Amino acid sequence: MADIRIEHVRKSYGALTVLHDFDLTIEDGEFVVFVGPSGCGKSTMLKILAGLENATSGRILIGGEDVTDRAPGDRDIAMVFQNYALYPHLTVRGNMGFGLKMRGVPASEIDRRVNDAARLLGVDHLLDRRPKQLSGGQRQRVALGRAIVREPRAYLMDEPLSNLDAKLRVQMRAEISALHQRLNVTTVYVTHDQTEAMTMANRIVIMRDGTIQQIADPETMFYKPANLFVASFIGSPGMNLLSAKPKVDESGAAVELFGTRVPLPVDPARVNGHNLALGLRPEHLTLAGGPASVTVTPTLVESLGSEKYIYVSLPEENRLSADEVSDGRRSEQFIVRLPEAGAIRASEPLTLYFDPARIHLFDPASGAAII
Amino acid sequence: MRRTPLQSLALYGAVIVICGILVFPIYWLFITALSQPDALRAMPPKFWPEHPNWGIFAEVLNDKPLLLWLKNSVLAALGAVGLSMVVSIPAGYALSRFRLRGGESLGLVILTSKMLPATLLVIPLFVIFRQLGLLGSLWSVILAHATLIVPFSTWMLKGYFDTIPQELEQAAMVDGCSPIGAMIRVVLPVSAPGLAATALYGFVLSWADYAYARTFLTSAQQNWTLNLGITTMRGEYISNWAIISAACVLATIPVLFIYLFLERYLVGGMTAGSEK
Amino acid sequence: MAQTNSERTTETFSGRPQGKSTWFASLDLARPSRRHWLGYMLLAPAVLLMIAFVAYPLFVSLDISFQNVGIVRFDQPRKPFTTANYEKLFTSPDFWNAVWVTVKLVVVVTTSCFVLGLGTALLVNNHFKGRPLARLLVALPWAIPEIIAVVIFAWLFDSSFGLINWLMIKLGLIGSPINWFSTPGAAFSAVSVVMIWKGYPFVSIMALAGLQSIPEDYYNAAKVDGANVWQRFIYITIPSLMPILGVSMILSMLWVFRDFSIIYTLTGGGPLGSTETLSIMTYEEAFGFFRMGYASAVGIITLVICVVVSRLMLHRAPENL
Repeated sequence: MADIRIEHVRKSYGALTVLHDFDLTIEDGEFVVFVGPSGCGKSTMLKILAGLENATSGRILIGGEDVTDRAPGDRDIAMVFQNYALYPHLTVRGNMGFGLKMRGVPASEIDRRVNDAARLLGVDHLLDRRPKQLSGGQRQRVALGRAIVREPRAYLMDEPLSNLDAKLRVQMRAEISALHQRLNVTTVYVTHDQTEAMTMANRIVIMRDGTIQQIADPETMFYKPANLFVASFIGSPGMNLLSAKPKVDESGAAVELFGTRVPLPVDPARVNGHNLALGLRPEHLTLAGGPASVTVTPTLVESLGSEKYIYVSLPEENRLSADEVSDGRRSEQFIVRLPEAGAIRASEPLTLYFDPARIHLFDPASGAAII
Repeated sequence: MRRTPLQSLALYGAVIVICGILVFPIYWLFITALSQPDALRAMPPKFWPEHPNWGIFAEVLNDKPLLLWLKNSVLAALGAVGLSMVVSIPAGYALSRFRLRGGESLGLVILTSKMLPATLLVIPLFVIFRQLGLLGSLWSVILAHATLIVPFSTWMLKGYFDTIPQELEQAAMVDGCSPIGAMIRVVLPVSAPGLAATALYGFVLSWADYAYARTFLTSAQQNWTLNLGITTMRGEYISNWAIISAACVLATIPVLFIYLFLERYLVGGMTAGSEK
Repeated sequence: MAQTNSERTTETFSGRPQGKSTWFASLDLARPSRRHWLGYMLLAPAVLLMIAFVAYPLFVSLDISFQNVGIVRFDQPRKPFTTANYEKLFTSPDFWNAVWVTVKLVVVVTTSCFVLGLGTALLVNNHFKGRPLARLLVALPWAIPEIIAVVIFAWLFDSSFGLINWLMIKLGLIGSPINWFSTPGAAFSAVSVVMIWKGYPFVSIMALAGLQSIPEDYYNAAKVDGANVWQRFIYITIPSLMPILGVSMILSMLWVFRDFSIIYTLTGGGPLGSTETLSIMTYEEAFGFFRMGYASAVGIITLVICVVVSRLMLHRAPENL
């Protein structure tokens, strides 16, 4: 086990820069998740950590040693791949023992470790089968076993659950988290799924277009997103984003949402005169009651049994322009998530309550949060 | 959509007739080999010999150094394929895995090699091999055949390697293999069918060559390949078609077998170099 | 199994020795910064082989073509540069005859292979019992070495006892047996037939692969839209096949241009030069008359023609190559 330090790593392919100045320190035993949309550079960063790609500049240190130019096999790390990458011509036992065999570990020791890991992951009855005889979940477990058996200083996982179906994904998520609790090995985990990031990480590193948007633990990231992108990425469905121009009068600052005046609990001097981007999570509106309210007419109601999703069309003046929002579709829509709601019909006006303190404020130009 | 009985009949009829006509020459070769000499001169021709002369094969083996020629063809093919595989497996792998500047030019090289008339290259190669003292030796043919095979095999192998996910080697490297170790221990075993198909395709290419064999080996009778030997039979035995047909049958059987196994993989070899 | 760092008893087994001596370390191709060296290293043997035995000879060929030389010897001083070979070539009736024969052969064989190859592919693409066998048989001529095909057809075209003469007389197509190999026109036909027989399987296999890669849904959508069999053929099958057909046509053409085995062993280029293609002429000049300089010039011209023609055809379908 060791800490990992990534110092000012840059990666470009000719004129195209894929990673801009990535800088991060991962503590010993931490479970860090790199998350972001496809193409954000998270997998590239992981491959650089593994030694499978070459950084254009910057350093990688594992356990205090500079491994920047060291071969992948010499870094004492183990990796779990999205497509499992199990060796088709070897049995499960052969797959799991391969790395140890390469290192000249005695056969008895290999057997002991392979058997222990197989039992831990529940694949000990499959040891003599070939990968093609296994199901997706079983293969993923074998891939995990292959990593565990090496007893490395760190695990690197590249979207290991993306190829599994939804139910299996939920189950494996819990298993990986439990494994980490038990083994306490530094882990860097890459995914595009924000749910995995939120549920598994000690800290999340959210990336976009090769730059780190924010590094924080899940709670902080949910309640204090650093910018518009993080706000809309985290959460399912993501935060609603609206545009409004605050007006300041004797009672303080206020904005007009859905035609209703809503007070903003913020120092008027900070926001006077600026166009603002506001964020309000779908979960923070209720039918019950609250300090502020708006009346809206839903365009669509989706019922999931335990909760309902209400879709509302944003009035023109409350819409952010396309380039201010990373997800073009959402600029016209406002989503509300209501647990245990009664019968709600589209086209019937509905009054929603919320606490203005829950409103997040962002600068529409830079996207950064305004405290 | 169901076919009407008439359409079915037409289809089967067409297939039988066309296949029959196209394959007939091969059938005729076998018949000719087995026919008695006077049966060959009979009019109308006999489509099935009354007394098939199975002994013809023993006869031709005694008469002509067929086994020697066969041995030479096999040696040349094995040598050429061996050399080609040793050279093109790493090359195909490199083109598949690395972003090399030569990548796109490989297609160009293959196309160019298909445009080169063998009769053009044979002249300088003749001179070069004579200088090197290789004329008359099987090595001249092995090297020449290798130049025929390598562009195809490199492309075919690149195609096969492309279908193997890079993550396998990455996993092996993380597990402690060097890149070459990963290639040998992981990629090669997994691509075994592709390797076999490529090797067989190379074998067929070498087996079929005549131009190089004739130019380099004519002076050395003990090194004649099958193709070379059989052509000389035609000069002499202008009237003994049975014997020469029998020799041809023996020469064709290996390739026919390979073809039966290879049929599925043929397209890969044939389209080598013609698609990105 | 060990749970915390301090309890690791397997310390000695994990990881390889960290430090390698410096010069060895810089050769360690597993390191990320050195990885692309490995790529070039792996490619090198193939490149060297091709340079030594293709590129260099080609260059030598070019060199020779500009010399007035009979048999080339490396140990003798080079003959002076001269364009006499090329001049002789362009004014030689034999050369132009060879060009004409080559062009005729290319056109006849290529179109026939196209028709026969596409036809058999379309036929075999249907579902019927014994289809795998039919596929196998249709492409069988490909596996037969050219020399052997020549033997087969030499016998079939035999003027006295050959099956073809017998058949043609029986069908009333001709009155008396044709002497295929001593009659110029007939010899050309014989050569064409052999080349077509050997050449069509290639087109057939490629076309069949192309046909089978056309998604079923294209046809389904067309059927729903009301297209009949002929329309589906014209608007879906042919356009989808164009790339593959184009490629196979070019490759077929190049094959006819270059071929040596079939023509040389069947007719030797005769009678009276009626089957002497550029390829045959090159060989004859080099090893029959020992005029290697002149022969190389002919060969180079042939290569240039091939390159020019394929580039022209490529511009019709640039995305396929």
